[in-house]
Formats: sequence, structure tokens, C-alpha cells
Amino acid sequence: MTKTFIIAAITATLGLSTAATAADLVFTSWGGTTQDAQKAAWADPFTSETGINVVQDGPTDYGKLKAMVEAGSVTWDVVDVEGDYAVQAGKAGMLEKLDFSVIDKSKLDPRFLTDYSVGSFYYSFVIGCNKDAVSACPKTWADLFDSTKFPGKRTFYKWSAPGVIEAALLADGVAPDKLYPLDLDRAFKKLDSIKADIIWWTGGAQSQQLLASAEAPFGSFWNGRLTALAETGVTVETSWDQNITAADALVVPKGTKNKEAAMKFIAAATSADAQANMAVSTGYAPINLDSSAIMDEKLRMSLPDMQSASQVNADMDYWAANRDAIGERWYAWQAK
Amino acid sequence: MALLTEQDNITAVGKIRTVRSRNFALTVPALLLLVVFFILPVVALLLRSVMEPELGLDNYRALLGSTTYLKIFLNTFSVSALVTVVTLAIGFPVAWALAIMPSRWASIVFAILLLSMWTNLLTRTYAWMVLLQRTGVINKTLMGLGLISEPLPLVNNLVGVTIGMTYIMLPFIILPLYGVIRKIDPAILQAAALCGATRWQALTRILIPLATPGMVSGALMVFVMSLGYFVTPALLGGTANMMLAELIAQFVQSLVNWGMGGAAALVLLVVTLTLYAVQLRLFGTARMEGR
Repeated sequence: MTKTFIIAAITATLGLSTAATAADLVFTSWGGTTQDAQKAAWADPFTSETGINVVQDGPTDYGKLKAMVEAGSVTWDVVDVEGDYAVQAGKAGMLEKLDFSVIDKSKLDPRFLTDYSVGSFYYSFVIGCNKDAVSACPKTWADLFDSTKFPGKRTFYKWSAPGVIEAALLADGVAPDKLYPLDLDRAFKKLDSIKADIIWWTGGAQSQQLLASAEAPFGSFWNGRLTALAETGVTVETSWDQNITAADALVVPKGTKNKEAAMKFIAAATSADAQANMAVSTGYAPINLDSSAIMDEKLRMSLPDMQSASQVNADMDYWAANRDAIGERWYAWQAK
Repeated sequence: MALLTEQDNITAVGKIRTVRSRNFALTVPALLLLVVFFILPVVALLLRSVMEPELGLDNYRALLGSTTYLKIFLNTFSVSALVTVVTLAIGFPVAWALAIMPSRWASIVFAILLLSMWTNLLTRTYAWMVLLQRTGVINKTLMGLGLISEPLPLVNNLVGVTIGMTYIMLPFIILPLYGVIRKIDPAILQAAALCGATRWQALTRILIPLATPGMVSGALMVFVMSLGYFVTPALLGGTANMMLAELIAQFVQSLVNWGMGGAAALVLLVVTLTLYAVQLRLFGTARMEGR
């Protein structure tokens, strides 16, 4: 009784928010230059090939996604989410199982593959530095966490997600293969040592603004955002030392009315060509194993999956299992 | 009047009743809108806060029993109070000046005030970010003049939040205050001067007491609005001065813990309604509007 009531109330608040008609496919991502690239590399070719119109929506919001699934009024058909969220949400019954008779999974990077999700694109947290603003740039995580050697503000990703905690532990001397399970006490202790000097970035555009204006002359960034910033003329130095990788994932919320079209869209978006085109325009790496062969050699070398010598892979399964507990502690620590 | 019969009286009362019920009928669409889009979701939220993850008051216990969350509550109140005080300190002289200024000038100042209100909130907040940052106009100018050697930390902290929110709240205090001050008879101040009051005495013993209803209603409005503020503290503040609205957004969007989100939202709602009730009690609706 009460449950029906809650659902009715939520449906009432959400019901009026969609403009797409039933025949359209709604793709939701994080906005900005990344979603523009997804539209150009995936959605536009998909529409001209299949005639299915793709409506762009965003930004991705896990609260909204949950509301839609619970209310049985799903208006997002394919959603770009963080990798650890995809694993967790799949287990929680929020997602449709993917149809691998439509999506060819043999060509997809197995690290980012689950029954409910495939990789979307693959990125690294790297150390970025505005060379014009400082006399010396930090090269390692230990440098970035050393405010005596490198005084001044530094910027990190604000939200609880794979990346910053790993960086703190690596900076504190934990060996990459001993990272998991994460020693949170040790990580927060290390983070405490530079807390007063941290400016948090909430989204890619803000991270670029902070670095370009030298409000924070160095920090940890998504590699693609540094590539894009360098193209605008800012002298950016990127250190790939122990770059921490993670991937976004494509998922289909449970109860979508366009399931068949959604599977087709994912198949198209993860094809070698679509992934290669996406990588060219963003600086993120493709998750289709065949994309490399059709890409420009020089550009290929600048992508995160070519930096594997000094690479640390964030453990998505560990994060999926501990996402809530880490999140609560993370935000409580930030507010302290 | 004496000729008014009992019958007339009854028709008159009847007429008032019809007018009243007709007026009520006019409010039905608005009430329906409120029930569907405001009251039902609030009730749903309340239910979630006591039902998720299981039935009980665990969410409230976790919320009120943790020093971190209590710190966020405290911070929400102290930031709102600070913003209210600063807004009042800046708004009072402006309202006063507006009231005694030639009307041609006053309309220009009003236009500036209203234009700022009509500009998108996000745009205004980003503008402050650009002005206040270490490499922003303010710091560059001060350093260029040789007044400071290191950039002042004006953003990502309490200073940034206070500046940004005060700027946004100013019209909400200036407008009601202006209404009250304008209605004060200038002759009273002249009389005070004639009776030998100094300017300071005229201000503290006549102008301020007479303007108090406007000050209190404006201040309460600013305080209550500040309690629920989200965009400005999120963009101009650091994580150490997090406010309640941001915490709620985190629970709902990032942690997807709607039970806790609902509990936090409800605490905020109860506090706000209590303050509003106090305001009504003390001043009533008529005086709030500066009548």
C-alpha cells in the first residue's frame, strides 16, 4: 500500500520530464566535450544507419536512474556510468542483462565486461601540471602529496570513486600489487597531510579551468581533459607515472521500453570504428581490441592503454563491493 | 443603519459566504498543484526516511548521532547567520539611501538590483569564482597595487561562500526594508533634530526601531533561504564548509541512500517551518509585508 503510494508520487514527479517519443532512443551521459564526442562518434552514425533517432540527455544521475527503475517509468535507454557503479547496480537488479548475440563481446576488453555492462571508454588518472605557472612539476604521486617540495594548491576529483585513495596509498609507498584491499586508514592519513591544500574538482570542465588559471597549478586529472587543454594552447605537462586506470561503462536500466534498440546501440558504440573515432576526438582509449589497428600511429601512442608499463588498474570489483562504505567515509572525511 | 432588517443582514452574510467559497474555488488549481508536486513527494520522502533500509528511526539516529553530520548542521546555521548579518549590514544603508534619494536616481539603483536578480544564478556564481580566484581580477589588482604580495584566499572557503550568498540575498533584504523606511515620516527625524537629538541618536533611537519590522522580516527570509542553499556553497565553498543541501544531494545522487537523504531533508524542512512559524507568531503576515 505505502509502496504503491511512494511509487505513484515519484512517477508523478518524474513523469513529465521526458520529451522523447517511444520510437526514439535516449542516451544519457555526463555532458560536456565527452558527450559531444559520443554523439558524433556513436549516435550520429547509428542514426544514419538504422534510422533510429538518438536523443541526448544528461548528466548521468544515479538517484534519477534508481527512481525511474523503481517507478517503472524508465526514460533512459542507454546510460554511461562509472565502472564500479555498473558492477554494483547489475548485482542490485537495476540493470537489464546485455544481449551478447547482438553485441559481439569477443572483441571487447574483458576487464570491463560483465553480464550487465560493457566498457564505454577507458581513461587514466594522471598527474597534470601547468608548466608556465610553477618552476618544477610533480612527477609522481609522492611528489603531488608533498607540499614541502611542491607548495601550493593541488586539485583532485571530489566524488568518492576509484582514483584518489589509490593515489594516496601509492604516494605513501604501497606497492601497486598490494593496493587491494585498500588500507583506508592509511589513505586518509596521507590525505590529511595535504587536505588544506586541496581544491576539489567536480567535473572535467572545472578541472581544466583550475589548471589553466593556475588556481591549482597541478593535480590529478582525467587524461583526456589534459589532451584537450593542451590543444587550446596551455602548456600542460602530463606524468603517466603509475597512472590509475578506470573505465566508464554502458548499461541499460531495467524496464526500458526500447531494449532491442538499446542493444543495437551498444553494439554500434562498441564497434572498432566507433571506438576509434571516439578515441581520436577525446584522448581516451578504445575498449574494442580491434580499434588500434585502424588508428593513426602517433595518436595511438598518446592514449592511456599505451602507458601500461607504469599503469595501475583500479579494481572495479573491490569498489563495487565497498562503494557505499567508502563513500560514506569519504564524504564524512571531506566535511571534517 | 437602524433601518437594516434582520433579512438584510442574513443576505449580506450569505453574500460574503458565496464570495468566500468562490474565492476558495479559485485557489483549487494552485492547491492541487501544491498537493501533487510538493506535499505528496514530501510525504513519500518522509516514508522513505523511516522505511529504508528497514522500518525504524535508524536514519535519524545515524544523522543526529554523528559528529560529522552535526558539524554540517551547525555549519549550515552559522553560515546562514553570518550571511544574514552581512546582508543586513550592507542592505540597511542601501535601503535608506534609496528611500531618501531623488526618485530618478532610485529607479536606476532599482534597475541594477533587479537586473542582478534576473540573471541566471549559475552565471552569477561562476562570475564570482572568476573574480575571487587566486589569479582573479581582485587578487591581481591588489598585487599590482603592491598591497599584498601573496594572493588572498577568497574562494573555496567561507569567505567565498559569504560573498557569493550575500550578493544573491541583498535584494531580498533591501526591498522589504525600502518599503518600511519609505513610510517613515521624514518630519519625525526633523522633529528629533529640533529637539536636540544627534544624528547617531536619530538613527539608533528613531530610524532603526521604526525599521525593525522590515529588518526582522527581511533577515528571517534571508536566513531561511540560506539554510537550503545549494549552488553557491557548492561552487564557492570548500568541502570543510559543506551545507545541509549539499549533504542531501550527496545522499540522493552519489550514495543513492534515499533513507538518509530523506531524513536530512526532513530535518531541514522542520527547522525551516519552525522558524517560519516563529516569524508569523511574532510579527504576523501584515507586518511582515511592511504594512
